[in-house]
Amino acid sequence: MKTKSVKEPIRKKWIWIVLFINVVLIVPWYFPKGAVEPFVFGFPLWAFISTFFTLIMGAYLSWLCISQWNIVEEEEENAKRKEDVKHG
Amino acid sequence: MDNLTFAGMDGIIILSVFAIVMLVIGYFSGKGDTNLHHSLSGYYLAGRNLGFIALFFTLYATQYSGNTIVGYAPTGYRTGFSWLQSISFMTIIIGIYLLFAPRLYVVSKRRNFVTPTDWLEFRFKSKAVTLLSIFLMLWGLGNYLLEQLVAIGQAVAGMTGGTIPYEIAVVVFVLVMLAYEWMGGMKAVAFTDVMQGIVLMIGIFVFLAGALYLVGGNFAEVTRFIADNEPAKLGVPEMEVSVNWFSMLVLVGLGASIYPHAVQRIYSAQSEKTLKKSFARMAWMPPITTGLVFVVGIIGIMLFPGLDTAGSEQLVGLMANKIAAINGFYYWMMIIFFGGIVAAIISTADSVLLSFSSMLSNDVYGKFVNPGATEHKKVMVGKIGGIIAIFFLLMIAWNPPGTLYQIFVLKFELLVQVFPAFVLGLYWKRLAAKPVFWGMLIGAIVAGLLTLTGHKTVFGIHGGVIGLTINFVVCIIGSMLVTVSAEKSLKKDELAVLELEA
Repeated sequence: MKTKSVKEPIRKKWIWIVLFINVVLIVPWYFPKGAVEPFVFGFPLWAFISTFFTLIMGAYLSWLCISQWNIVEEEEENAKRKEDVKHG
Repeated sequence: MDNLTFAGMDGIIILSVFAIVMLVIGYFSGKGDTNLHHSLSGYYLAGRNLGFIALFFTLYATQYSGNTIVGYAPTGYRTGFSWLQSISFMTIIIGIYLLFAPRLYVVSKRRNFVTPTDWLEFRFKSKAVTLLSIFLMLWGLGNYLLEQLVAIGQAVAGMTGGTIPYEIAVVVFVLVMLAYEWMGGMKAVAFTDVMQGIVLMIGIFVFLAGALYLVGGNFAEVTRFIADNEPAKLGVPEMEVSVNWFSMLVLVGLGASIYPHAVQRIYSAQSEKTLKKSFARMAWMPPITTGLVFVVGIIGIMLFPGLDTAGSEQLVGLMANKIAAINGFYYWMMIIFFGGIVAAIISTADSVLLSFSSMLSNDVYGKFVNPGATEHKKVMVGKIGGIIAIFFLLMIAWNPPGTLYQIFVLKFELLVQVFPAFVLGLYWKRLAAKPVFWGMLIGAIVAGLLTLTGHKTVFGIHGGVIGLTINFVVCIIGSMLVTVSAEKSLKKDELAVLELEA
């Protein structure tokens, strides 16, 4: 099992560092209190930036699921193919 | 939603159609599958064989309930733009899944886990840890189920303009739910989730379209209105609100990802490929679900300014009334939308109930009362136990508590205390049973006491998060002091499974 093709998110530090930074940027603690202007697409600037980083987080997590997670996929897909051949 | 006058008979027709569709789906998902009722994994995990579409929708419909609309829009209305947090805390759940789901999936397949407790029992081999975690999880699930039951009645009574009274609505839909769940178990739950999830998604989009139409199609107009009239809802939030936002991310992220019914969806996946594909899509759902609901709440500030807390709880109903009055298309869409809310509540309730039953049958009955029973008997005990629990909860539901959001936080406070054992146990071999038990217990007591004494948050931090921090500290320091590690308590083959060695 411990081949190079095995990918498990927990083993990659950078994933969690990036995620942490992303979360810190989502919460608007770093804006001056009460600021409203300017407006971007009807959102106050802070809300726009927060939403932007939230969307980034969604995209990032979605990408992580697909590309950084691979433990038993090949094993399972191979087994499935064999099964299909048997029944097909 | 008490004064929803736009739908009487029409609402009843749509609701009846929805109920019949659910029953039909339930019937066909159980039909011909003789194994279903004779095996725990067959009934509770759909034979560990859920494909992408069913898995994705069952994750979606379970995570997003009718409360996501009925409760979150008013919260957005009251708190303003800082309710953007609802998008981020629903998104972070996927990040927390990435922390443990990949390995838990593999371990669960190899050791045939049925419930989350199976994992804890396998890892810690401690009756105390098993019992305490069963208690905390059943407590959390029970509370969650109760919340859904209350919501079903309110939604139906509102939608039919009181034609169907609250109590009858709850009983009828609970019976529908029990019937299809009895027939098809997890399979029925997942397949009905496909239908319920789609209706909910469409409903939210149409609702938002209608709301935008009412304000002239211009969201910037809405924010300008808020800037002039209620600038506090628009400005950069106070520091305490930001702290609370962080706290929500921790509480919801950790709590929602280890919900027993959420964990069981990891067990139910057909393959790793299906599971990660489903999670990858789920990461995109918050913006188009809680995000759109947030916008609806904000638009509500302009459409119905000055509502108090109780008044704002009716926001979705008030808006639906106005939207339905636009034209015939919107009228029918609003009726379908409200049916969708009911369906969404049921789709969450059925998952919670199934998980509750599985823990009764596999954990309480199967581990402590009668371990030698056949699987068929265990399944039966879970089914009947679930029904008894439902009727017990119904008695409480006749006396519904205050606003929905408060109960939502309550259930997380205790449930989240299972997290250190659950996730740390996967990777840290030194984590030992005794510190885990004490951490869980002290964490739960602290979280419970803080909430009960009216300190739901301290400086913006939730009691559940404070309890969880103490829990983690006890687990970690205690395990470093105790010399028993997993190397000693686990057998060689068990350790190999844990380390992903085939």
